[in-house]
Amino acid sequence: MNPLERIARSPVAALEFANIVLTERDAPIAVTPKDVVWSHRATTLYRYRSNRRSYPVPVVLVFALINRPHIFDLRPGNSFVEFLLNEGFDVFLLDWGEPDEADAELGLEHYVCEQIPRALREVQRASGEEEATLLGWCIGGTLSLMHCAVEPQTPVRNLVLLTTPVDTSGSLYATWVARDSFDVDLVADVYGAVPGRTIDWANKLMKPVNNYWTTYRRLWQQVLDGKARREDYQAMAKWVADNPPFPGRAFRDWVTWMYKENRLVRGRMRLRGRRADLSAVEQNLLVITAGDDHIAPRQGTLPVLDQVGSQDVTHLDRPGGHIGLMAGSKARTEIWPDIAEWLAERSDR
Amino acid sequence: MEEQESRAAKAAERMVSRDSFGELLAMATENVVALTRIGFDTMDMVWSNLRIAGRRDVARLARQIGRTEDKLELVLQELERLRDAETRTRPDAPSAVDGANSANRRPTRRSSKT
Repeated sequence: MNPLERIARSPVAALEFANIVLTERDAPIAVTPKDVVWSHRATTLYRYRSNRRSYPVPVVLVFALINRPHIFDLRPGNSFVEFLLNEGFDVFLLDWGEPDEADAELGLEHYVCEQIPRALREVQRASGEEEATLLGWCIGGTLSLMHCAVEPQTPVRNLVLLTTPVDTSGSLYATWVARDSFDVDLVADVYGAVPGRTIDWANKLMKPVNNYWTTYRRLWQQVLDGKARREDYQAMAKWVADNPPFPGRAFRDWVTWMYKENRLVRGRMRLRGRRADLSAVEQNLLVITAGDDHIAPRQGTLPVLDQVGSQDVTHLDRPGGHIGLMAGSKARTEIWPDIAEWLAERSDR
Repeated sequence: MEEQESRAAKAAERMVSRDSFGELLAMATENVVALTRIGFDTMDMVWSNLRIAGRRDVARLARQIGRTEDKLELVLQELERLRDAETRTRPDAPSAVDGANSANRRPTRRSSKT
């Protein structure tokens, strides 16, 4: 496109660019049909409808307490849930919902020692299977790992950890929040439920130029070249902007225990009086790390490989970012099939 | 253009990863939260003096409802355990957890978010 054409196209491109950005909230995401199996407080357990279930052991997806789990089912054609269903898995989703100030007193113990076990019990009842696969992403992975560490009798057969923080020392988050001058108690007490926007702002601040400039500059370039993939951009932008509040006590627990004191990897994490002992984790374990992950850097996940008691441990390390690894355009061909293959070998009765 | 952008991105990432930036961020966070607290307290005082339920009152009520929901959940769980136990003791009963057998499948239960 010569400069003159570019100038001529600019007004139309500006209109289209504005339209894409302004209407991103209307993008349909997480549309795969599902049914509510159980709900308690803000938490809901869903089961995706399928007539292709061929593997008996159900897969339970657990996402972080920041952002919604819709990233598992971003949009038709780019949905991990849809992929798993097509592969023959029985898929459940544990959605933490939108906690508010009424949930201020819910700590990590609530999620690890109450909600996950309850959800697993409901999965057992709904599926009729005695065991399940727990697949956690980011904080969801850490919660799943803690659950397996404190519940020796858990029905979890397979544990999949996607870009999961385990050892937080040396991470950028630790530089920000592990210092004494970061008063996590004040934040938790004042807000009750820490606003999701604040946490999103902090996440974006880790790569400020990329998040606040490059994303929009790239979109503008694509629009100008007539190559903008509207649906892809809007689906991801909508998901990124959907930030539920983080319950105050859980926020305090997370920052204090995981960042200030780094308890999990040091073997000092205690939940409801029980030690979260990683050597007690005996599930078949798949750990997936992303080479360019700045939120849960690879070196912060790898210690889990040495500490767990599992006999069957697989580690996949792939290029990509914290979210791009699983939700990017290449995920369907580069990582999902490997996960499905790993699960398939371990999901028979 | 892209090269400059890439350089700026790296420089920004270096800046935010510095200890001094972390210190500034911690202080700025504390200031914002302290100001928010002053705002919340003032608004609560205004509502309270007007004899109107404020944010804090509503949150307190919602928390009580949440606790009631927790207790209800425990009761329901216990009920389910008893029902399972009873099913198991019946002579013609299939295995307790057998979703393939619809006769033994528990109806979907849901409780609403308050």
